Formats: sequence, C-alpha cells, structure tokens
Amino acid sequence: MNVNAIIEILIAVMVLAGTVLSLLSSLGFIRLPDVYTRAHAATKSVTLGILFILLGTFLYFWFVHGLISIRLLLGIVFVFLTAPVAGHLIIRSAYRSGVKLSDTSVKDELREDLKKATQLEKYHSREG
Amino acid sequence: MTLQILLNLVIGMVWMLLHDEWNMLTFTIGFLIGSIFIFALRRFFPGPFYGLKIWSIIKLLILFNVELVKSSLIVIGQITRPKLNIQPGIFKLETKLKSDWEIIMLTNLLALTPGSAVLEIAPQEGVMYIHAMDMAEFRHSIAKTKDLFEEAIIEVMR
Amino acid sequence: MLNNLMLLSMFLLSVSIVISLYRVIRGPSMPDRILALDSIGYSVIGIVAVLCILLDTHAYLETILLIGILAFLSTIALCKFIERGVVIERERDH
Repeated sequence: MNVNAIIEILIAVMVLAGTVLSLLSSLGFIRLPDVYTRAHAATKSVTLGILFILLGTFLYFWFVHGLISIRLLLGIVFVFLTAPVAGHLIIRSAYRSGVKLSDTSVKDELREDLKKATQLEKYHSREG
Repeated sequence: MTLQILLNLVIGMVWMLLHDEWNMLTFTIGFLIGSIFIFALRRFFPGPFYGLKIWSIIKLLILFNVELVKSSLIVIGQITRPKLNIQPGIFKLETKLKSDWEIIMLTNLLALTPGSAVLEIAPQEGVMYIHAMDMAEFRHSIAKTKDLFEEAIIEVMR
Repeated sequence: MLNNLMLLSMFLLSVSIVISLYRVIRGPSMPDRILALDSIGYSVIGIVAVLCILLDTHAYLETILLIGILAFLSTIALCKFIERGVVIERERDH
C-alpha cells in the first residue's frame, strides 16, 4: 500500500460522502411536510455535501498534479457564505407571501407578534 | 490593529527587497519574522497584538464547522427515520448584538446550527424569529448555541 | 477504481437532481420551486467538480464559480420578486 493509493481512497471517500449527503437531503425534499422544514434540509446537508465534494477535488489536484487551485478555495468560501443567506431569503419570502406552516406545527410566535403590531404599522404608514 | 498589519506587510516587503528574491516564499518568511518582532514589541503599540484577533477568528471558524457537521447529521437522522415525528414551530429569541455585520454573522451561523433557520429579523428591537425543526428537542439547545456564538462574535468584532 | 467510483458519484448526483425536479414540477408553492432550483444548482456544482476529477483536467474549475454565482443571484432575484414584486430596492427597509 503506497501513498498514492491511500490518497486515492481518501479522495474517493470524501467525494462519495458528499454525494450521499446531497442525495439524502434531496430525499428530504420529498418526505418533509412544508417549505420551512425543507429549507433546513437544503441549507445544511447540501452545503456540507458540496463542501466535501469540493474539498475532495481540491485534494485531488493538490496531490496528483501539485496544483493548489485558488478557484476551488474561492468556490468553497462562496458556497459557505451564500447557502445560508439563500435559505434565509427563501423562507422569509415564503412567510411574507403567506405560505402556510404544516399542520404538525405547534407554535407561531411571529404571527402573534404581527397581530399585535398591525395597528402600529398602519399608524406609521399614515404618518410618513 | 490596522497599523500592526500594515507594518507587518511592510516588513515582509523589505525582507523580500533585501534578499532580492521576488517570490511568495521569501515574502512569507519575512512576514513571519515581522510578526515575531511585532509580538515582542507589543507593549509599545496602542492596541493589543493582532494575532489574538486572528486566533479568535480561527476559534469561531472551528466552532462553525463543528456545528455544521452536527446539524447535518441531525437533519439526515430526521429524514431517514422511517416515520416522521417532528413538530416544527417559530419562536422568538432576543439578541444583544447591535451592528449590521454582527447580526449578519449571527444569522449565518444560526442558519447552519442544528434544527434552526432564521425567519425574520427586527434589528431595532434586537429580536430574531427562528424556525425550529423540532420545538421540543431544539428550543433550549438553540438558545444555548446562540449565547456561544454571540460571545465568539463579540470577541472577534470588538 | 477511482474512475468507477467517480462515475457512481455522478450517477447519484444525477438521481438527486431528478428528485429535486419532482419538487420543481409538483411543488405546491413558489418558494418550494425556488428551493428545489437552488439545490439543483448545488448538485450541478458537485457534478462539475466530479467531472474535473474524471477527465483529469482543471479547465472546468471556473465553471464552479460561475454556476455558484448564477444560482445564488437567481435565487435572490426570484425571492425578491415573489416577496413584493421589486427586484432591486432603492431604499433599505427595516
């Protein structure tokens, strides 16, 4: 067993782990009941899966070709930064456009607070 | 702190000039030597040594990665369970962070912690509304991790 | 061996794209579709990375950045659009 074989196994394990993570989270798209819970699956597991795949690719080019690819590192940082923002924006727009929570939900404190604040908001809009 | 980093860059450049070798390796060696000098002379600078700040950034990143792995495993565990029994819900959390950047960082971190996703932010009241995947299981752990993140962010930003 | 494993991983990623496509077509609401499109974008990034290993070239690595930026921007534009019908805001709101 030489070094190259070990590195190949490491790369294959990382890429396959990322693949399985993103496959399982897309399974979550079918099973979970509403947008908000699906967003959990999309933001967390997909991000981690893509990170694993890109890290495996980075290691491959580093060890096999001796090439430290800045582009891949930039891609990792970019995915890391943008995935949570996209998830937050999607569920915020879902809530604002009135998508209902699933029936199994137990509590909605935002709706209670908004009910209290509606009159205040109308007041402000008339003033300004 | 900006002064220290600038000074360190200048030391690296001067090291490269003195060696007359224009590559990254020489610059890195000069930069490391410069940081040792600045660390030795840290009493004479107005602020604390900037390496401490970098160390706290590294600590924040490690915390972030650990939480990301944990949360992915939890979500996968919920999905692959043969019968789904989750009770999602929205609850309110108060934060003591004030500026925009701090709140952005906290939101990004909370979006990747176990079972939580930030739904709406009201920065003036310092309130965040968080959608939890399972209210009974995660509500207290989310509040706990939020305190952890807040301390780490304050250490980095202030 | 590595080649076969990479082919397997590309196949699994394609399966996850098909599953997301089901959500795009079926999705009861618009945010569902946007979410599924977003995750299709990430799966495509993964496929390009695996393809780079498979073909043993680093010519396609720019594509990863490009697809990432396009997926993120389109997600944001669609979200803004269904939120209030304005894509670019002139004033910050609180």
